[in-house]
Amino acid sequence: MTGLAALWQVAMREVRERFRSRAYLITSGLTVLIVLALIVLPQILGSDTEEMTVGSVGAGNDEIIATALDLGNANDEPGDPPSLAVDVTEYDSRDEAIAALEAGEVDVVIVDAAELILETASGFSGSSVADGLQRAAGAVQIQAVVEEQGQQAADIIELLTSDPLEVTTLAEGDPAESEGRTIIAYFGLLLLYMAVLLYGTWILTGVTEEKSNRVVEVLLSSVRPWQILGGKILGIGTLAILQLLLTIAVAVGALRATAAFDLPPVEAGIIANLLVWFVIGFLLFAVLFGAAGSLASRTEDANTIAMPMSLTAVAGFFVSISALNDPDGTVAVVSSFIPLTAPFVVPVRAALEALPAWQYAFAVVISLASLVLLTGVAGRIYAGGVLRFGSRVGWREAWRSADE
Amino acid sequence: MLAVNDLHKSFGDVHALRGCSLSVERGAILGFLGPNGAGKTTAMRIIFRLLRPDSGMVTWDGDEIEPDDLLRFGYMPEQRGLYPKMRARDQLGYFGRLHGMSKSEAAASAVSWLERFGLGDRQNDPVEALSHGNQQRVQLAAALVHDPELLVLDEPFSGLDPIAAGTMSDILREQAAAGKAVVFSSHQLDLVEDLCEQVAIINFGEVVVDGRVDELKDASPIRHLELEIDGDPHALIADLEGVQGTLTQNGRLTVIIDAATDIRGFISKAQDAGKLRHFAYTSPSLSDLFREAVR
Repeated sequence: MTGLAALWQVAMREVRERFRSRAYLITSGLTVLIVLALIVLPQILGSDTEEMTVGSVGAGNDEIIATALDLGNANDEPGDPPSLAVDVTEYDSRDEAIAALEAGEVDVVIVDAAELILETASGFSGSSVADGLQRAAGAVQIQAVVEEQGQQAADIIELLTSDPLEVTTLAEGDPAESEGRTIIAYFGLLLLYMAVLLYGTWILTGVTEEKSNRVVEVLLSSVRPWQILGGKILGIGTLAILQLLLTIAVAVGALRATAAFDLPPVEAGIIANLLVWFVIGFLLFAVLFGAAGSLASRTEDANTIAMPMSLTAVAGFFVSISALNDPDGTVAVVSSFIPLTAPFVVPVRAALEALPAWQYAFAVVISLASLVLLTGVAGRIYAGGVLRFGSRVGWREAWRSADE
Repeated sequence: MLAVNDLHKSFGDVHALRGCSLSVERGAILGFLGPNGAGKTTAMRIIFRLLRPDSGMVTWDGDEIEPDDLLRFGYMPEQRGLYPKMRARDQLGYFGRLHGMSKSEAAASAVSWLERFGLGDRQNDPVEALSHGNQQRVQLAAALVHDPELLVLDEPFSGLDPIAAGTMSDILREQAAAGKAVVFSSHQLDLVEDLCEQVAIINFGEVVVDGRVDELKDASPIRHLELEIDGDPHALIADLEGVQGTLTQNGRLTVIIDAATDIRGFISKAQDAGKLRHFAYTSPSLSDLFREAVR
């Protein structure tokens, strides 16, 4: 039998047995359910009308609130439910209104048409309401000025909600497309992160289990270490990619069906780029997890040994999130050239077109070179570690044992 | 023929093997004996290239063993290893395929071995659901499923009840009769004596005794003389030459005596001394040879 045939047998066993074990089906099912829930539930539960509750103290507030309502609903099509609905509660004193705000009864308090009170400056709730009121207050003042010159209030509203300025960016392509790129990059990043942590752990514990139940000695009496490790990574990697494709298909299908928002237009090149980096990133972590698994005889030990790798994946994820906001920053640039963080960062920066060609090429060279190197090192550590039963084996001890 | 030639192997300061040689022809069964830690498992792992010897060589039919040769060998390690959650039949089929069998060959062989072991109705059970003895049977089947030319079994009898041990012996005999070379290690020396024509005894990493069991017995410098007699047997053996030691058990006296001692006149002397209930003059048992070799 050729070497690849045995590797294929090992991979197929992983796929068959993990399908049968139900753990895979359950994780896949849960992932699909979560994606569906994220897309469909807001459609079912959420109404199109934004409700805002305003506490009003003193005089002169009604005009501002009415204007805010007009501004909010100015672009509504006739027959649609209104975009904005306002619920006003009158309070006798500022203190009373603040108490109501603290109790969560109102989102914002307006006092004497001059002061806005919010629970926190940076909180999510209330701030858009406050923006609306600010704009309305401005409109009311302008109105007061222009009314002297005979303009009608309705004209002011129309003026203020007229067509927004057209936005262009220096990057090539239209803004809708680069928004799409960002979304795709973010999802690709999230999926790689999940795959590394979930399926990387499967590789880790799979190797340790074969060692702890000693089946590896039977396997190694006919198959070579690289065939076992390679087959395991191929098999579990196939499952990871199957789940990835399933998740993407379900997400796209659900978005189409519910028309939650228009799918962003993206080039096939971005998707291909994501897939390539998904594979590179998964393999880089997979070989390391495989080597780590061979050092432990118990699953608990395996998780401890693999901790640095899991933490690196977490770090890579967060570096990429920051790269989404600042794709040209030092952190983003440096982490593009570090083998274990590059798969997270490079596709994000490439999607945002913030990656010069030379940096991309350099990152590819570094990642592929380290993949080759790490595969060799990890294969040797696996071969040395996996037959040393008993207590936990050190990395260096496993490296040396490969000669024995 | 499997030939292991002068293997040496150290792990750090520990000399696990220091001159291990043995050989076994197709159709023969070799008992590989030795105290715990003598190097049996290390030698077996070297045969399967799981370890690399510091010096020495293992050959099969005269050629050094290559990875592809391993597909024609079957190995049952001392520490049993199966996938607990995998079905017995799938597991054996998988091992068959790893040894290069086609899918249908492997499946058919897996089922036939399970039926042979009386596990035909359990073939779809995960291995962890089987009893200890049945797991052992599946483990043996895993070494046999691809119809290997060489069988190497590390302690195949450990943990087996007498009935299961009998089945194991039958299978090893049958495999040898079918032309396979069989090597197994064991501490149950009476079983080995029953089963093997050849033994190799290893002590501190070195094979100290190697050959056919009957020849080894003949070549032994001592014999056992057993006496059970009314009266005092000690007086009787007082003028016997070459006595190396005596042992009394349940009223029976065993005399360890030089093989060269002529005992022809002794029987009639014994008969004259009193009623002779038991008399035996034998070569030492395999256990005796073993104890002698590893002393």
